[in-house]
Amino acid sequence: MILLNLISYPRAIILGALQGVTELFPVSSLGHAVIWPRLFGWNIHQNDKYYITFLIATHLATALVLLGFFWHDWVRIVKGIGRSLRDRGIDPADTDAKLGWLLVVGTIPAGLLGLLLQDKLRSVFASAQSAALFLTVNGLILFAAEALRRRAPQTDDDDDTRIARQVTWAQAVGVGTAQAAALIPGISRSGVTMGGGLYFGLSHKDAARFAFLLATPIIGAAAILKLPELLGSEGNGVRGPALAGAVAAAVTAWLSVRFLMRFFETQTLIPFAVYCVCAGIATSVYFAVS
Amino acid sequence: MRNDRLLTIGAVVLGVVLIVIAIVYWAEPARSLPSFFPGHTSGSSHHHTKHGIAAFLLGIACFVFAWFRSGPKRTAPAA
Repeated sequence: MILLNLISYPRAIILGALQGVTELFPVSSLGHAVIWPRLFGWNIHQNDKYYITFLIATHLATALVLLGFFWHDWVRIVKGIGRSLRDRGIDPADTDAKLGWLLVVGTIPAGLLGLLLQDKLRSVFASAQSAALFLTVNGLILFAAEALRRRAPQTDDDDDTRIARQVTWAQAVGVGTAQAAALIPGISRSGVTMGGGLYFGLSHKDAARFAFLLATPIIGAAAILKLPELLGSEGNGVRGPALAGAVAAAVTAWLSVRFLMRFFETQTLIPFAVYCVCAGIATSVYFAVS
Repeated sequence: MRNDRLLTIGAVVLGVVLIVIAIVYWAEPARSLPSFFPGHTSGSSHHHTKHGIAAFLLGIACFVFAWFRSGPKRTAPAA
């Protein structure tokens, strides 16, 4: 059997690093994973089996980084869920339990829609042109989120308590359902989730925190579900570059989440909205004329 | 009170049905699925594993809902 690297190591590292950044920045990782290879003339397409296998590794790395970054929060959240199951109810004062179930309730529609629609949407919106167009749409969504956002109440509660008190069950379902839009290359999961959080009255920092917590089980589960492909025969010729890409994704995802949690203490989504609109229009024009 | 009980029983029944549906999706290829199941395709040997996972998770969600609904009633703390 001829084993060749379907993605070269330098490209794997670049694509992995790009994935780690764009998964967490509200600019659509999938959109960039489609646009970038086309922009640079790389013979890589998002529906190629080996590329999907490669992306599984980088997504898993990103999910592990998110899990690690918010590890102490997750421990408290899981304990809270355990307490509520034991007591057969959510104590109004137990904000860890409330936040945990908000994440569960938000993850269910996103997970179901992802399971049922992912392959269909990926095949329908596979082209770099449509990804560029939806990147522009993503920018407009971020602008709209800033325009429609409600003022966050000032409290002395800690971050997770503020989120648990501010977000209702229906809002968690709404944000979770809206996450499914991120199955379309060009639309950002964290952008949609943060936009929803802002609309429901969270601060930028809390909206980012909620988005990252909500993203962790979805990204992790999607990657774990497809892990057999990476470890099986479909991973032949990709595992080495995938590992390199995963390490690059882990490093940039860690730096990104650290940066963004500080950035959103004082800043808004506007810079990302401007980037998405400009990059979306520029690449749309480029693809149209090239 | 009676509505609560009905809701709990309904959630448990729905949960059982969804878990059974999940097992059918995992066990049977697309050609052998009942024709009213999403994913039924004549002559296809493909297993709709993802449909099964979706049904299973919904089933678990129904059980959790029933578990909470049947728990002791709580009163909101005085402000």
